[in-house]
Amino acid sequence: MSKPAWRYVVGIVLALTLALAFGWLVGHAAIALAAMASLLLAAQVRNLLRFDHWLHHRKMAPPPDMMGLWAEIVGVTSRLYRRKVFHKRRVVELLRELRRMTSAMPDGAILLGPDREIIWFNRAAASWLQLRRKVDYGIRIDNLVRHPDFIEYVEKGGRGTAPRVHLPQHSDRWLAFNLVTSAAGSGMRLLIVRDVTNEARLESMRKDFVANASHELRSPLTVVSGYLDSLADDAQLDAAWREPVAEMRRQSDRMRGIVQDLLELSKMESSDGEAEREPVDVAGMLALLRREVLARPSRPAIVELKLDSDAMLLGAESELHSIFANLVSNAVKYTPVDGRIDVHWWTDADGGHVEVRDSGIGIAAEHIPRLTERFYRVDAGRSRKQGGSGLGLSIVKHALQRHGGWLGIDSQEGKGSSFTVHFPAVRIRARLMERAARPAS
Amino acid sequence: METADLSHHILSRYNADLQGIRTAVLQMGGLVERQLQDGVKAVVTGDSRLGEEVARTDHKVNAMEVSIDEDCSRILATRAPTASDLRLIVAVIKTITDLERIGDEAEKLGHTAARLADIERSAHRYRELKHIGDHVGEMVHGALDAFARLDTEAALRVARTDRLVDEEYEAIQRQCITFMMEDPRTIRRALDVLWVARALERIGDHAKNICEYVVYMVLGKDIRHLSIEDVEKQLASLRAASTGSVG
Repeated sequence: MSKPAWRYVVGIVLALTLALAFGWLVGHAAIALAAMASLLLAAQVRNLLRFDHWLHHRKMAPPPDMMGLWAEIVGVTSRLYRRKVFHKRRVVELLRELRRMTSAMPDGAILLGPDREIIWFNRAAASWLQLRRKVDYGIRIDNLVRHPDFIEYVEKGGRGTAPRVHLPQHSDRWLAFNLVTSAAGSGMRLLIVRDVTNEARLESMRKDFVANASHELRSPLTVVSGYLDSLADDAQLDAAWREPVAEMRRQSDRMRGIVQDLLELSKMESSDGEAEREPVDVAGMLALLRREVLARPSRPAIVELKLDSDAMLLGAESELHSIFANLVSNAVKYTPVDGRIDVHWWTDADGGHVEVRDSGIGIAAEHIPRLTERFYRVDAGRSRKQGGSGLGLSIVKHALQRHGGWLGIDSQEGKGSSFTVHFPAVRIRARLMERAARPAS
Repeated sequence: METADLSHHILSRYNADLQGIRTAVLQMGGLVERQLQDGVKAVVTGDSRLGEEVARTDHKVNAMEVSIDEDCSRILATRAPTASDLRLIVAVIKTITDLERIGDEAEKLGHTAARLADIERSAHRYRELKHIGDHVGEMVHGALDAFARLDTEAALRVARTDRLVDEEYEAIQRQCITFMMEDPRTIRRALDVLWVARALERIGDHAKNICEYVVYMVLGKDIRHLSIEDVEKQLASLRAASTGSVG
């Protein structure tokens, strides 16, 4: 018990004892005790009523002026009350500020409930998606924003690539959506809408520029290399000119290679969406590539091919060919004559995989994440001497993306590298006909 | 409120079924909207690849119609809906038919776009098509929004704009006739343009039908084959009566 409480109890006991003693002296102990008790009770009731009155009119009335334990109770209560008011005011202020900020946000924000129903949205979201305040609260967002790509994205719960769509409301505008789920599972989600029209325009300008520039470069280059070819074959050419002409011819071939790769890359970029699904014989394609490597004048001593599957890969033949050809030709370039290259093709429950492993110079770990960037070179001088365009792995990456696949790189400097391409299981089709026929024969 | 009216069932599965059907219709609507948008774009920009894509995607619309139709039959058979639920199912069955027709018209646009891309282009008349195309796109979008919000006023507003689409169609028709009389060599191209305009005009009619189903679904009033003015008069009295009885 606190000190005022002790004092209170002692006071009551003392008052009652005094009354008892006085009554005993006068000869009416019971009456004196009863009178004192009634007096004390009356005082308590009065205080209680005053306290109750104050509790009901806290906002206007000042706390009542009381003594002893009652003063303590009033003090604690009014302190608690003031603290509550203060916190409430702060929270309300914060909330108001937060709403003001989100309203002014340049991005659209929509708060969604567990069933994707709209709980709240800001001004930008309202104007882009033509939502109406109050009326649209409680309506499912996918009932009002009905673009198929958006619905697919929301149904997946925000996993997968964020869609970029033209909405019928604003057909001249690209909007990108992003669904954010909080870690705590209240089921509420935040949908962020961004206007990416400018980004999309810049991107398409860049793509168009690369495609047009490479296309324009190709025709003059063809003329130049044509003349260089006939010059190099000319028997009457001055001996002093022979070496420079040969060098010019090599360089113009390289340039043609770069332009070719740029065109291929921009073609893949502009044809967005999935690659077609024609069955491609991977084993046969790899065997052909091996024969081409073996025909080269300088090549690693051992080129092994291990084919563990005869399944067909569903994809675009030309793009698959450029994936494998780029990987194999990289391996040949960076592997010494006494090294070896192993190509392995297998399928499992995850899908199909092709690994190209070499015992070449390897790649330092810090370069690996940037390898698929355009024109990224680990060692500029060396790779230029090897005659690459610097676009090979970019092409591999893009072609893989169109097939839903991905590239795994594993390398140790000085020991060799391993490039593995993975294709999803939906793109693999077993060769049922042949497999059924084989045991019979 | 109407929204509350459609979700008052103690049987929560039933409720979820009805809500699911509404969402499925709007999903189908979203696909149709994109088909229409792409179809118009393919015609106006002469993008034959986009046109072929539109023509190829139409089977998805048809598949959705069949699936929603089955769901509706299942609910009719197992739940025996009454009152507003029954009106919802009836309206859905009619709406998906119109949506499917819009899908077919969009497919037609796709085919025509692939063909038009091969012929010499006339920039001027395709702009007309873009205008009526945008207009019709807005109508379809507005009709589906009204369906989602159960908003009869918006539905009527959209239905009213159908008249403008009809006028635009007639203007294009007159223009095409003039061109054909001036220079018979343009007849083929003009006919194709007319086909596209005709398809768009039909889509506008289908959007108007959907608006009428929305009114039927929410207020239980069949407003087909009535003039817009009569409809508005009737609905005003209906609304006054309903608010009177509620309040």
